[in-house]
Amino acid sequence: MDINLIQEKIENDLAGVVSLRALEEVRVKYLGRKGLVAELTGTIATLPVEQRGAFGKEVNALKNKLLNFVEEKENLLKTKDNVLKQNNLDIGMPGIAQKPGSLHPITQVINEICTIFNRMGFSVLQGPEVETEYNNFTGLNIPLEHPSRDAFDTFYLKKYSKLLLRSHTSPVQVRAMKAHKPPLAIIVPGRVYRPDAVDASHLFMFHQIEGFLVDTNIKFSDLKGTLGLFAKNVFGQDTKMRFRPHFFPFTEPSAEIDISCIICKGRGCSVCGRKGWLEILGAGMIHPNVFKHVGYDPKKYTGFAFGMGIERIAMLKYGINDIRLFFENDLRFLKQF
Amino acid sequence: MKVTYSWLKDFINLKIPPAELAEKLTMAGLEVVSLAELRGDFIFEIEITSNRPDWLSVLGIAREVSAICGKKLKNPNPKELKLKTKELLPVTLSVMDKKDCPFYSGRVICDLRVGPSPEWLKKRLEFLGCRSVNNIVDITNYVLFELGQPLHAFDLDKLGGRQICVRRAKLNEKIVTIDGQQRLLDPEILVIADKDKPVAIAGLMGGEGTEVTPSTRNILLESAVFNPILIRRGRRKLGLQSESGYRFERGVSLSAALGASLSAAELILNLASGKTCGYKSLGAHKITNYLINLDPAYVNRTLGTSISIIKIKQILSNLGLETKVKAKNILSVKVPDFRKDLKLPIDLVEEVARIYGYEKISRTIPAVRPGEKMFDTRDPACGIKNTLCGLGLHEVITYSLVDRSLIDKSMIKTDAGMVEILNPLSREQEVLRPKLFPSLIRCLAYNLDQQQEYVNIFEIANVFSNKGNSVQEEPVLAIALSGVNSFLVKQGLVKDDISLLHLKGILEFLFNKLRINGFDFVRQDGNKINIILGQKEAGFMLDLNQQTLSSFDIKNRQVVAAEVNLKQLCGCINLEKKFLSIPKYPAITRDISFIIKQDVSVKELLMAIEEKAAPLLRSAKIADYYQGKQIPAGFKGLTVSCVYRLDERTLTEEEVTPMHEAVCSSLRERFGIKLR
Repeated sequence: MDINLIQEKIENDLAGVVSLRALEEVRVKYLGRKGLVAELTGTIATLPVEQRGAFGKEVNALKNKLLNFVEEKENLLKTKDNVLKQNNLDIGMPGIAQKPGSLHPITQVINEICTIFNRMGFSVLQGPEVETEYNNFTGLNIPLEHPSRDAFDTFYLKKYSKLLLRSHTSPVQVRAMKAHKPPLAIIVPGRVYRPDAVDASHLFMFHQIEGFLVDTNIKFSDLKGTLGLFAKNVFGQDTKMRFRPHFFPFTEPSAEIDISCIICKGRGCSVCGRKGWLEILGAGMIHPNVFKHVGYDPKKYTGFAFGMGIERIAMLKYGINDIRLFFENDLRFLKQF
Repeated sequence: MKVTYSWLKDFINLKIPPAELAEKLTMAGLEVVSLAELRGDFIFEIEITSNRPDWLSVLGIAREVSAICGKKLKNPNPKELKLKTKELLPVTLSVMDKKDCPFYSGRVICDLRVGPSPEWLKKRLEFLGCRSVNNIVDITNYVLFELGQPLHAFDLDKLGGRQICVRRAKLNEKIVTIDGQQRLLDPEILVIADKDKPVAIAGLMGGEGTEVTPSTRNILLESAVFNPILIRRGRRKLGLQSESGYRFERGVSLSAALGASLSAAELILNLASGKTCGYKSLGAHKITNYLINLDPAYVNRTLGTSISIIKIKQILSNLGLETKVKAKNILSVKVPDFRKDLKLPIDLVEEVARIYGYEKISRTIPAVRPGEKMFDTRDPACGIKNTLCGLGLHEVITYSLVDRSLIDKSMIKTDAGMVEILNPLSREQEVLRPKLFPSLIRCLAYNLDQQQEYVNIFEIANVFSNKGNSVQEEPVLAIALSGVNSFLVKQGLVKDDISLLHLKGILEFLFNKLRINGFDFVRQDGNKINIILGQKEAGFMLDLNQQTLSSFDIKNRQVVAAEVNLKQLCGCINLEKKFLSIPKYPAITRDISFIIKQDVSVKELLMAIEEKAAPLLRSAKIADYYQGKQIPAGFKGLTVSCVYRLDERTLTEEEVTPMHEAVCSSLRERFGIKLR
């Protein structure tokens, strides 16, 4: 076998190679485990002893040459390939990725608020939407047939005289306090229902978050501090807050809480009705009668509770002007959050 | 409640500018919702909370202003009228049940002249939004606004038998009220009746037959206390809103009832002449006060303040609560009968805080002790939402209350019947939904209608059903898909049409992520697949049929939906993780490509492979699936990728080849596959 002839043939083969893949085929053909070089090396032993040395050298030289050829060709192809690829890629084309889904804005606001209170040490608890009249009213010191119930117009169920759709998340206070002993630090997000005529700011179903803290020495000033932290975290560090006396049957003293208008920063605009303040929360110290109903000693324990409407907060945060948008679930709306 | 600046001045020497007063009232709990200037006066519109009926009067608000500004109230109590005792009251009064009407008084004024009111009176009423009628009616309204006690004047000569009887209405009794409407009554409603018929609906509105007219000469002036619950029930039943009912429902005080009668009589004598011809009352006469002991330390402990005992005493006294310091620095507070909201020491704490100023109370951060257990009941649901969102689905929130027709058109059978709402405002609120997915289909249809091409949505919410004597409420997850491109990278398994496999893919991903052991999808009938979790049925997948789709007005679209019981799902979650060592020795992969009858289940096929090759096989997966020209009708083409590996050493070809061949031949025997 003429080594030179072989070398020529190989050089021809290599010249025709235009891709890395084809190069690999050629490499295997000549340099592979069962390739030509291996075959030639195998024949050395069959030669007469005096020819072995010279032939062995020749085969070795061929092998080294081939390795060099392949390496050179490989480098050349790699560079060429890169240049080609780089020239053809238009980086202005859209990237390739999974299209994203979205969490409902109400869920996002609930998550944000729960996270803030989680960090302060509050646990999250949910309760049923079908409630007893007792948990929704009586247990919360709201007498039946009293004007204080007018604020809580309620859906009742047919066939079940004592069951209703909860009109606020406060019944979970009663449930939690009956199930656990103090100290308690709990936050309750959830759906609530009121038979309100539907318009841009009223719906018959909406979401609330209720929070309460019960321990041996909880003060009204703690309520102010806690909600102050909350407001700054949700609405920004420069948010101002004011507490106005109000009435809720289940808290005493009670307060309504305004934040400085996030649109006009308190100067007065159409969103805050030129007042510079936005009402966002109801709160107060848990009424001793509520403690009595759940079997806590009001002499030993004090606590505060607060509640807020999620839709209202989401509307303020995101600048949404119609509450109905939340439940229309138009994808063009949902995808914005 | 509206009040004018000038009227307040009748009771208090006001120096404070109206705008500043409005701000102070708001910060004391009387939220001024508007302040308007009108013809040299100022009108405050105040939102009164339901616990403070005493604020539904100019006097009540003046009392508050006095406490806020620290100024004395001018004595508001009218003097007792001197009656000519000889004259007898020419009427008989009776109250059937004292519980319905704890106090009733009638004052007779004779020989009066009904006519227009003087300008000052008209103006005061007009500023408060009350129309002037005649001097007598105007005076009763004037006193209502000033003292918060509703009064009523009857034309004495039109009272049959000159009798007044406070009683429940008889069934189907009727009355025409002064607004000209005929109203049907029943025994739940309290009325004022004469000898034979109702002449007024107690506390709500007078009757047309006995109203004061220009020809009226003699009147009976009623001032009473009615049971608030009865007034409330009557008001709701008859849909009758009135200034008078509003106050009775919240509760009036005996002291106001007594004072108002005198005050009105005095005005009538002045403005309509006439003379008083007697006064008679039934029921409670003694005004009772209530004593509360208040420890100033309790006030400061509750509020986190250090307000002095002197300051506390001063605040309470300015509110009209007579306060004395008893032994050991305890305050004894006398609560007047117009403050029925004050029952416990905590109620006085609020009074102190209100007037002291909530703004002056500092802000402290409590040391939160989370209790024995820290929990977040949203946990699994939150994770599921995030996972689905990551898969390209959009979360929606739909109403839990739905119309019956939505359930009907989704072809859901509810054996126990649906949970119905007693008082829906519209048909959209008829029932609590027994299933979640119909709401999603509706939402999907809405979005398709808005020219959205791909609608892939989910919701986690509660569904409701009757169970025994109660309502069962359980959280479920529902998914509805119409369109794939937005969330699934093309896998070559299924072309553009949405199919149950896309839905299955999402659920499998979710179940694997939650490390649920043992889930399965079992065909129940044509287009329904049951989802099995831990050997129990936990939900279903649906390929919506044409009939359902057209009932939702969905055209030329395929829609698939799933619903999974979240409670069951959460019960199967197993998030314990355990490390398995990474394989040290290489695996050998062998593919089998073959055609097989269409009706053979891939699941069975894979199970057969696993069974046969168990000791060496690590996984067997469908690598390709095809149907088309090359494949005869009734068959499908499959490529199964089998991975063989041992943990303790490298497998050799000699070991794998016979095993793989055994697999192929067993498939040939059991399923009649034809290798390609």
